[in-house]
Amino acid sequence: MSEGDATAYGPFAYLSTPNAALYRRVMRALLAEKERFTVHVRPEQVYAALRADGGEAVTEEAVGEAMERLAQPAWGNLLAFPDSSRVTALEDFYRRRMLYQLSRPGEAAERALAQYDAALGTRGALQSVALADIVTLLTALRDAAVADRRGDETDAAVIHQELRSLRDRFAELAENAVAFMGSIQRTIDLYGADVEAFLAYKEQLVDYLERFISDLLTRGAAIAELLEEITDKDVWFLATTAAEREASDAAPGETEDALARARQTWLRQWSGLTDWFVSTPTRGSEAKLLRARARGAIPQLLAVVRTLHEKAGGRTDRTQDFLTLARWFADLPRDEDRHRLWRSAFGLTSARHLTVTAETEDAWVAADLGNAVPWEEAPPIEISPQLRKTGSYERRGRAAAVVDRTQAKRQLSEQAARESAETAEARRRILTAGPRPLSEFGELDPRAFRLFLGLLGDALAAMGPEATTSQVHTSDGELTVTLMRQPEPALARITTVDGVLSGPDHLVDIASAVDG
Amino acid sequence: MSSRFDVAPAITGALEEREAEGRTRAVRALLARPVLRAETDGEVFRLARRHADSLRELFDRLAGWRLVVESRTVRLLTSYVPAGPTARAIAQRHPARVKKGDPGFTRRRYVLLCLTCAVLERSDLQVALGRLADDVVLQAAGVEGIEFTLGNREERGDLVAVIRLLVGFGVLTKVAGDEEAYAAGGGDALYDVDRRVLATMLSVQHGPALVEAAMGQAPAIEDIEAALHEPPPAYTEDEANRRLRQSLARRLLLDPVVYYAELSEEERAYLVRQRVELTQRLTEATGLVAELRAEGIALVDPDDTLTDVRMPEQGTDGHATLLLAEHLATKGPTEIADLRRLMKRLAEENSSVWRKTTREPGAEIALVSEALDRLAALGLVRVTAETAEPLPALRRFAVATPTISERRSR
Repeated sequence: MSEGDATAYGPFAYLSTPNAALYRRVMRALLAEKERFTVHVRPEQVYAALRADGGEAVTEEAVGEAMERLAQPAWGNLLAFPDSSRVTALEDFYRRRMLYQLSRPGEAAERALAQYDAALGTRGALQSVALADIVTLLTALRDAAVADRRGDETDAAVIHQELRSLRDRFAELAENAVAFMGSIQRTIDLYGADVEAFLAYKEQLVDYLERFISDLLTRGAAIAELLEEITDKDVWFLATTAAEREASDAAPGETEDALARARQTWLRQWSGLTDWFVSTPTRGSEAKLLRARARGAIPQLLAVVRTLHEKAGGRTDRTQDFLTLARWFADLPRDEDRHRLWRSAFGLTSARHLTVTAETEDAWVAADLGNAVPWEEAPPIEISPQLRKTGSYERRGRAAAVVDRTQAKRQLSEQAARESAETAEARRRILTAGPRPLSEFGELDPRAFRLFLGLLGDALAAMGPEATTSQVHTSDGELTVTLMRQPEPALARITTVDGVLSGPDHLVDIASAVDG
Repeated sequence: MSSRFDVAPAITGALEEREAEGRTRAVRALLARPVLRAETDGEVFRLARRHADSLRELFDRLAGWRLVVESRTVRLLTSYVPAGPTARAIAQRHPARVKKGDPGFTRRRYVLLCLTCAVLERSDLQVALGRLADDVVLQAAGVEGIEFTLGNREERGDLVAVIRLLVGFGVLTKVAGDEEAYAAGGGDALYDVDRRVLATMLSVQHGPALVEAAMGQAPAIEDIEAALHEPPPAYTEDEANRRLRQSLARRLLLDPVVYYAELSEEERAYLVRQRVELTQRLTEATGLVAELRAEGIALVDPDDTLTDVRMPEQGTDGHATLLLAEHLATKGPTEIADLRRLMKRLAEENSSVWRKTTREPGAEIALVSEALDRLAALGLVRVTAETAEPLPALRRFAVATPTISERRSR
């Protein structure tokens, strides 16, 4: 960017030129002169100041040229006047002599830049002292509010003074807190810049943060409490008192407006104060956030310190290590060599081992090998023939078709239905209506007879040799059989297709337990 | 008649067994993957943390390796210089990969990996792909012989592969965005950077930057490996013995087979004397089994998990490898040209079960090369430019075809 470029104008233009550093020094020198009330300055004076400010050496001509350029209309940092004072040397007479003065825009720009310098350069501070002052001021204000509630007289001037002090202290605290947290963040991010300084600074910083956090905790709580004690009405009272004093300077017709405006401003600033220290359910207070950030900064700082300590081995920067590796990877002739370098430098590859099966291990044990048997002679790993043939352990081929079994299922269900019907029928046939002697059973068909015989057998077994009567149920509970021995039994005979059952006559009662 | 049954020793014994088993699992997990992370490795990570102290002591005693245990990662810093043709052939077959089945890293990817790490060392705690790419291009400009623009899809795809590798090792964690979109052009992604993990990415005794100064231009890989892992001099005999023992242990823990013929005189003498004790300590720690033979030693895995290359293996390549191994075991050293002819025939014979692409003309070249790679990676075969010859351990597989002696009628 050339100097005097059409796109660059205004008092900040010089910042983007190659000679910006020189221009800044010149402007700073002029500002310093102005503060000593020297308004008009000659290049020689500036040159002398520059020789003493610890910067790079410059020639007088360079300084003169720089000031000329700063005075050009496009930039306008300086105003130039011809110098008509008396000279004593010939060369001075022939030299173009000018006097320079800071222009208003130039001065404003300089002051802004100076502020910028200060903000960046200093770390700000978290002021515990400010907190203490705030507590004192709030206590006083609360007392004043309480007095007013009681109806006592209060000193408006004092209240106004206290409110102004409170506002100033609070603004300072808030600004400095922001600056400080900002610089902490930058420090954490730029830790690589100066390791020793950082490590030394870290101790103090951590102490500082811890002290501030505990202060904020205790005094923050006190402040929040005081703020709660000062009710909305009190706030209105305090704001009105201060506003009245400020509005008293206003022009006659505008007093009402001025009062209202001033009061609004005070109320707004008071709410800013409350927001800072008092949390609501929906939003944490600024103090809490600040505490959290300060607390969070400590472990972050310690993590950074730990990383610094962890730079094992020499003081080489790991970045250089990786760049060296990049060069090696690029220069090695073959891919195989690169794989070796990957394994060697990073150590992230897997171990690699052959496998053995349980059967093989057993075979080894059985063979009772020594430690020096050649591989050829030891029992080998058997490879499955399936695998050798097809490269896969699973069988391949079409899956078998699903067989249709509905026909068979139907037949079976029909059969089952038939059998249960026949059994039911058989049961009905052997039901007796009350006790009947065996002899009266006469002929029974085979199915009924089989059922009957089973029941008779169960009943007789249940009765045993001594008893005279017994009662059994079928296993499904549907039939109940009662058997009674006769005192003088005659011979009973039951005829079936397969033969004749004969035995001592008993009274048998077979009843259905279901339909009684 | 009842007697008091003292349960305590039984319980203590069972607990100790459980602890020992947990330790073994952690050792195996670390050997398989030297970075364990809380997010991805769950139970083994917890085991490793639990047994951190005994693991640290174990790795230090057995192999002289350092174990770094942090709140969310456990990192085993392995260190190993391969010596001998088989060890070097195995070392050449350990490429970086994003995941199993991917092709190994190319020259461009390796260089990008190093440049990315170099940039990440200087970055903030969060990084965006787009910004990272710009910084990598800048960094590349400072290195001679390397040029990146990351302007075409291929180069961006390489960067994405590098990012995925770093995500896999826990250096980066994706927060938002899509790498695929970036590769296609126009997308971006956001990552958290874990500086602690980045700090342990390299596992060397001496930093590369320091080492480079002592070596010349374009050094050979052997020299680089030796220089990166050079141990401090041993002043006592005990120390020298310990070195010997640890160097052998490193080989046995990391490589599938160690052949006596490839060891130095000292190492061979030591190993032959001490093989039983040495392998016993290693098998106790890892659950592997020691296969001690006349030609060398292999620590073999009854669980078939502690490896990245398997034999036998299913699939076309596994089958091709098996059949090639069979041929080499029965016929001995063979010219590669003959192997290719054989493979062509095998591709035809097995066309019903192999991948379709194996029937294309010229496919046998890649098949043979892949199969020989696997066999060399397992120390079973030695490959030169013209020939392949079987090594003793190949005989541990019964590769003769089975004979059917009778047919049963159904």
